[in-house]
Amino acid sequence: MGLFVYSLDIIVFIGIFAIVALSLNLEYGFTGLGNFGKVAFFLAGAYTYAILMERTGIPFYLALIMAMLVSAGIGYLVSLPALRLREDYLAIVTLAIGEVLRLVVKTEDSIAHGVWGITVPPAIHWSGMSVLEMRMVNIGLVYFCLILCFIFFQLMTRSPYGRVLRAIREDEVAAEALGKNRVKYKAQVFMLGSALAGLGGGLYAQYMQYINPYMFLPMVTFTVWIMVIVGGPANNWGVLLGAGLVILFERGARIIKDYLLLPIDPINLQYILFGVLVIFLLAYRPQGLLKERQLETKAIEGVQKWKNRSSE
Amino acid sequence: MEESLLRVKEIGKHFGGLWAVNRASLDVARGSITALVGPNGSGKTTLFNVIFGLHKPDEGRVYFNGERIDHLAPHQVYAKGIVHAFQIPRLFYRLTVLDNMLLAARGHKGDGLLNSVVFRQGWQAQERELADKALELLNLLELDHLTLSPAGELSGGQRKLLEIGRALMAAPVLLLLDEPAAGVNPNLGRKIFERIELFRQRGLSFFIIEHRLEILFDFADWVYVMDRGKIAIEGKPEEVAKDSTFYKVYLGD
Repeated sequence: MGLFVYSLDIIVFIGIFAIVALSLNLEYGFTGLGNFGKVAFFLAGAYTYAILMERTGIPFYLALIMAMLVSAGIGYLVSLPALRLREDYLAIVTLAIGEVLRLVVKTEDSIAHGVWGITVPPAIHWSGMSVLEMRMVNIGLVYFCLILCFIFFQLMTRSPYGRVLRAIREDEVAAEALGKNRVKYKAQVFMLGSALAGLGGGLYAQYMQYINPYMFLPMVTFTVWIMVIVGGPANNWGVLLGAGLVILFERGARIIKDYLLLPIDPINLQYILFGVLVIFLLAYRPQGLLKERQLETKAIEGVQKWKNRSSE
Repeated sequence: MEESLLRVKEIGKHFGGLWAVNRASLDVARGSITALVGPNGSGKTTLFNVIFGLHKPDEGRVYFNGERIDHLAPHQVYAKGIVHAFQIPRLFYRLTVLDNMLLAARGHKGDGLLNSVVFRQGWQAQERELADKALELLNLLELDHLTLSPAGELSGGQRKLLEIGRALMAAPVLLLLDEPAAGVNPNLGRKIFERIELFRQRGLSFFIIEHRLEILFDFADWVYVMDRGKIAIEGKPEEVAKDSTFYKVYLGD
């Protein structure tokens, strides 16, 4: 029974992080924006949700929407200076933002009780609710959001809009010379990516029912990056797979630690293994497990059919 | 001279202490093939960059159809109908040849965020029309067998053709071509200019930088010779070819 509830925990985590990884995939995989401050927007969403749920009586779905809006707003503010910078500077700025936000909520007790953390009342609750039932409610909520996000990302990236994003990734000056307003596109992507990372954060706070600043260390950003790199940048299915694998290893290591007595700490070992895995992947399979597919709209499918016929 | 489509007036652009373009003025007539030649470093490419909005000029003005365009960003200049093809092709190498072409289309409804997700019917018919147009152009440029290959698989000459095809895809009014025949064999170079002539007959205007004068002078209507940031001489190709300044500019005194 214990292991079964544990595995439900893994399923919830996969769902939450798949949403965050999909949002990074939009930014990095499709548009080429190296956002190393993913945790900032995850944190913004989680804290917005937690504070609203603790202090106001608004329904949880409104709190989730607010979490997305606040994250998107912060994303927009960050994008104003950051998107005018070259790639590596964007990485530095976003990395710094992540730490700054965390230190602010940690030291300013009035925001959310600082290091003591904040307790989040459950979204859906009835008396005598078991742990199993609580997990099932969370799975339903998280996967409902994930499916919506996934459909949204698929439609968006398999369209002329997605084509423009890929063009900006390949050569932004050429894209600008072909009439694409790169600043506008990049700002949109950054806001959307931040909003969905905020949604992930809100769902995380809702599931954990307690958050504190130590849950938002820069390691969260890198975990999400590993999901995208392992799964396959610019492939939404690949990123789902990457999120699944990484969480399976990460949470799996915790379970092993609880059940087996080993001469080494499996959690630390897992970090080492991830490091090695990323180096090998970048060297030998930079496209990830599932590689990027050519863009297909109905018109292009038509051309493909016509090509196949004429070559027969 | 016929009606002027593009008017460059006293343009100056400096980098540090060096005036790359120094009060250059010129006109591109509607429906013409106008050429810009000159030795390396004379400021031709810089002038092009000013016209399509990549650089802001330090002095002077640029008019297109009588309207000032020197303060616009590249995507805004593009929206007016001036399309620029780079000297070294800047293709999207991981995207297909067809995607490269479709990206150049002006006013594609599917380029907007909301349309891409919500109003998908709105752009699908348009995308089909654009794909047909792209195939027609690719056919003309003899690239149609590569339609679905990544642009990175193309040879040097084919990349050059695709760069021009992409510019044509935008249904431009004026095309700025930076050395369209450089780095390709003489036959292909001539073929590229024959295509340019074909599109000129369909009503497009061209402003071309080119070093392959033996090809260029057979096609150009009017030639500007640039030297150290200034326009040294201008005239019909046969007049310029006879001018002694022209040789001085290229070979020194």
